[in-house]
Amino acid sequence: MLIKKILLNLSLYIPDVALILFLTEEGVFVPEERSHFVVVLVYFLIKISLHNIVAFFCFIKPYSAVKDILLQFQRGRYSMADSAHVLKPSACFGDLFELLRSTGRYLDNLVGSQNDEIEKFRELYNNVILSANSYFVVLNARDEVIFANKSFSANFRYTDDEILGLRLEDIFYIIPGRFSDAIDNVKKRGQSAVLRKIKLISRRKISLIADIKISRVTVQGEKQYIIVMDDITSQWRKDYQISLISQISESLQRDEEVERILYAILTAVTSGSGLGFNRAMLFLYNEQKKILTGKMAVGPDSMEEAVQIWGSVQNEELNLLGGGPDAPPVLQTNGAFYKQVVTSNFAINGNTLFADVFNKRAPVHIYDAASDPRVDPETRKFMDVSEFVVVPLCSANKALGVVVADNKFNGAPIYEDHVELLSIFAVQASLSIDSYNSLSSVKERMEHIQAKQEAIVESEKMAAVGRIAAHIAHEIRNPLVTVGGYARRILQSVKKPQKTVEDIEKAASIILHESERLEKILSNVMDFSRPSPLIREYNNLNDVVKDTYYLLKNVLQERKITATLDLEQKLPLVKSDFNQLKQVVLNLLQNAMDATPAGGSVILKTGLTETHIYIRIKDSGTGISPEAMDKIFDPFFTSKITGVGLGLAVVKKIVNDHNGEIVISNNPEGGCQFSVELLRPS
Amino acid sequence: MSRILLVEDEKNQRELYAAELRDDGYEVEEASDGKMAVEKVKSNKYDLVVLDIRMPEMDGIEALGKILSRDKKIPIVIHTAYSNYKSNFMTWTADAYVTKSSNLDELKTKIAEILAARGQA
Ligand SMILES: Nc1ncnc2c1ncn2[C@@H]1O[C@H](COP(=O)(O)OP(=O)(O)OP(=O)(O)O)[C@@H](O)[C@H]1O
Ligand SMILES: [Mg+2]
Repeated sequence: MLIKKILLNLSLYIPDVALILFLTEEGVFVPEERSHFVVVLVYFLIKISLHNIVAFFCFIKPYSAVKDILLQFQRGRYSMADSAHVLKPSACFGDLFELLRSTGRYLDNLVGSQNDEIEKFRELYNNVILSANSYFVVLNARDEVIFANKSFSANFRYTDDEILGLRLEDIFYIIPGRFSDAIDNVKKRGQSAVLRKIKLISRRKISLIADIKISRVTVQGEKQYIIVMDDITSQWRKDYQISLISQISESLQRDEEVERILYAILTAVTSGSGLGFNRAMLFLYNEQKKILTGKMAVGPDSMEEAVQIWGSVQNEELNLLGGGPDAPPVLQTNGAFYKQVVTSNFAINGNTLFADVFNKRAPVHIYDAASDPRVDPETRKFMDVSEFVVVPLCSANKALGVVVADNKFNGAPIYEDHVELLSIFAVQASLSIDSYNSLSSVKERMEHIQAKQEAIVESEKMAAVGRIAAHIAHEIRNPLVTVGGYARRILQSVKKPQKTVEDIEKAASIILHESERLEKILSNVMDFSRPSPLIREYNNLNDVVKDTYYLLKNVLQERKITATLDLEQKLPLVKSDFNQLKQVVLNLLQNAMDATPAGGSVILKTGLTETHIYIRIKDSGTGISPEAMDKIFDPFFTSKITGVGLGLAVVKKIVNDHNGEIVISNNPEGGCQFSVELLRPS
Repeated sequence: MSRILLVEDEKNQRELYAAELRDDGYEVEEASDGKMAVEKVKSNKYDLVVLDIRMPEMDGIEALGKILSRDKKIPIVIHTAYSNYKSNFMTWTADAYVTKSSNLDELKTKIAEILAARGQA
C-alpha cells in the first residue's frame, strides 16, 4: 500500500526526469557542472514543497473531514454536530462534504423514527409481560431466574433485583411432583406443558393455587424456559368452601359424634385449601364454673408443621369425615398448641376479649392486637399474634362458647368473607353441640315426631294421589268426551246417508287432535309425580318470587289485581330447592288471587329479620275466619268450588322440609298475609 | 221450537253439542265463556241454558249467579267434566247436573224432561 503510494507519488516526477534526460542529450544540462546540478536540485525541492502544500490544502483536510464523518457513521452517529473537522462549502470537496452531512441527517432521521417504533414496542411488551396479572418468570438453562414480571416479584415478595439468579427451589417451599416433572419434560422434549390447579407455597409464606404453562424458547442459541402462572386461588377456594359447607352440614345430619364433628369443622377452618386459617381454637362455656374452657385446637406448632399440613390437603377432594385415605390426620392431642389451648380458661365475668364476644354474641375482628383497646393483656399474651377473629358459638336460645382463628404462620390478612364463613361454621358447630347436649331427649322426641311424620307423609301421599286423580280426571275427561262424541257422530253418519264426507273428515281430524292433547296431558302428569330432588343448592329467594310472579302475571292482569314486588336486594343465599319454593309461592299467590276481588291488590315481599329470611304474600281479600284458620292446612279442606284443598298442605310440607315456618295473620285493613320464614344463614 | 243457549269454552265440544242438539230439533245459540253468556241472556230470551263450569273470563258458577239474578226462572243445566261437583256446588240453584260424557243421552234426556215440565217441549 505504502509502496504503491510512493510509486504513485514518484510518477508525478516522470515528466521532469524525461525533460532532464532530454536536456542532458541536447547538452543544455550538464550533470557534471555543479551549478547545473544545484539548479535542478532546487527545482525539485521547490516542486516537492509546492506539491505537498497544495496537497495539504486541497486534499488532506477534506480527506480527514470525510474520514471523520465516515468513522462516526460507523459508530452509528449520523448527526454531525460534534464533528472535529468542518469544511466550508466553498472549500475543496466542500460540496462532497455537504452531501455527506445531509446523508447523515437523513440517516439520523431514519434511525430516530425506528427508535420510536422500537420504544413503543418495548412499552407494549412491558405492559403485557411486566404488569400482566399472570405471574411470569423466565429461567435459563441452569434453572436460574433471568427475568420475572412485576406481578411475580410483588406477589412472592421479592424486589426485582433480588429475584434474579434464584432457582425455583429458592422461591418455593414445596414444588409438587407434577410441576417439576412437567419442567423436566419441557426441557427434554421442548413441547409446552399446561398444568391445572397446582398448589404452591413460597418460602416467604405466600400460598396459591395456579394454572401453570411452561414453554421453551431459544434465545441467541441459549435455551430458556418461560413459566406463566395464573392465580386461581380465590375462585377455587370459593368453590371449595361451598362444597365444604355442604359436606359439613351433610355430616351433621348423619353423625352425632360431636367431638369428631367439631374436629372436622376446625380442620376445615384451618386446612390450607379450606378457609385457610393457620390455627383455630374452640372454647366452650362451663356453666358451673362460669368460665370458657379450651376444648379443642387445630393448627400446627411451627411453620414446618404448617407446610406439612398444607401438603396433606393437596388432594382435590377433601373427604372430611370419610376416614378414607384422604381423611385429615387424626387429632393430635400432644402438640404444644393443643396443650396450651385445653389448659386455658377465661372467666366470663372477667374483662377478657373472649368473654366479651361470648356475652355480646357478636364476632370481633382484631387487626392489631398490640394497639387495640378491646384486647386485654391476658388475651394478647395467649394469642401472640396481631390479627385474629373471635366468633361466638350460639344456638337458638343460648351462648355456647367461642371459636378463635388466626393466621399466625403466614401472616396472611383475614378477609371479611372468611369471617363470614367462619360464622357459618360456628352456627354448624352450635347446632351439633346443641343436639349433642340434648341428645337423649331429642332421640325420644325424634321417635315420636317420626311416627307422627310418617303418618302425615302417608296421608299427604294419599292427598297428593287424590289431587292428581281429580286433576287428571278433569283434564282427561274433556278430550275423552270430545273424542267419543265425534266417534259416535261418525258411526251415526253410516246410518244417515245425508252426512257428507267432509263431516266425517272433520270428526276424524278432531279425534286425532284431541288424542294428541291427551298424550300431552299424560306426559305432564308424569312430570308432576316425579320425586322431588334433595335440598342442596343455594338460591336467591328474590329469584323464586320473580319467577313465580311472571308465571301468574297475565292471570293477575286478567283478574284486575294489582301485584307489587317489594324485594330486599341484599338477601343472603338460602340452602333450598328452587322448584319446591316456587311451588310454595305459586300456591300462596294463587290462594291470594282467589281470595281477592277485582280491583284488589297483592304484595310480594322478601326481607330479613335478625334470625330469618322471609317471603310474604299479602292480599286485600276476604281474610280467614278463626274457625277456618285451624283447618286450612288440612289436606282437602277447601272453601272453593273448584278447589281441591291441597295447596296449603303442599306448602306446609315443603316449608317443613326446609326447616322453615309459616306465619299467618289477618290484616287490620282486611285480607291476610302468609309469611314463609326460613332460617337465615348467619 | 225451544231455544237453548249453549255455554262451553272448548270449541270442538261446543260444535259437537250444538250439532247434536240441532239434529234433535232445538234452536241453539253458542257462547264461549260466562261473560258472553250473561250478555246474551240480557238481550235474548232462552228456554234453557246449558252451562260449563271451568271457563276463562268468567267461570260457570259466577255466570250461574248472574243469569239467575236476571231471570230467576230460567232453567239451567250444569254440564261439566268435574265428577265430584255434586257435593260441592250450590246444589239448590241449578235445575240439573250432568257429567260430561261422549254419550249425550243423559244431557238430552234431562233437557227434554225440564222443558216438558215447563210445558215447552
Ligand atoms: N289468602 C287467603 N285468603 C283467604 N282464604 C284463604 C287464603 N289462602 C287460603 N285460604 C283458605 O284456605 C283454604 C285452603 O287452601 P288450599 O290452598 O289448601 O286449598 P284450595 O286453594 O282451596 O285448593 P287447591 O288445592 O286448588 O289449592 C282455601 O280454600 C281458603 O278457604
Ligand atoms: Mg289453593
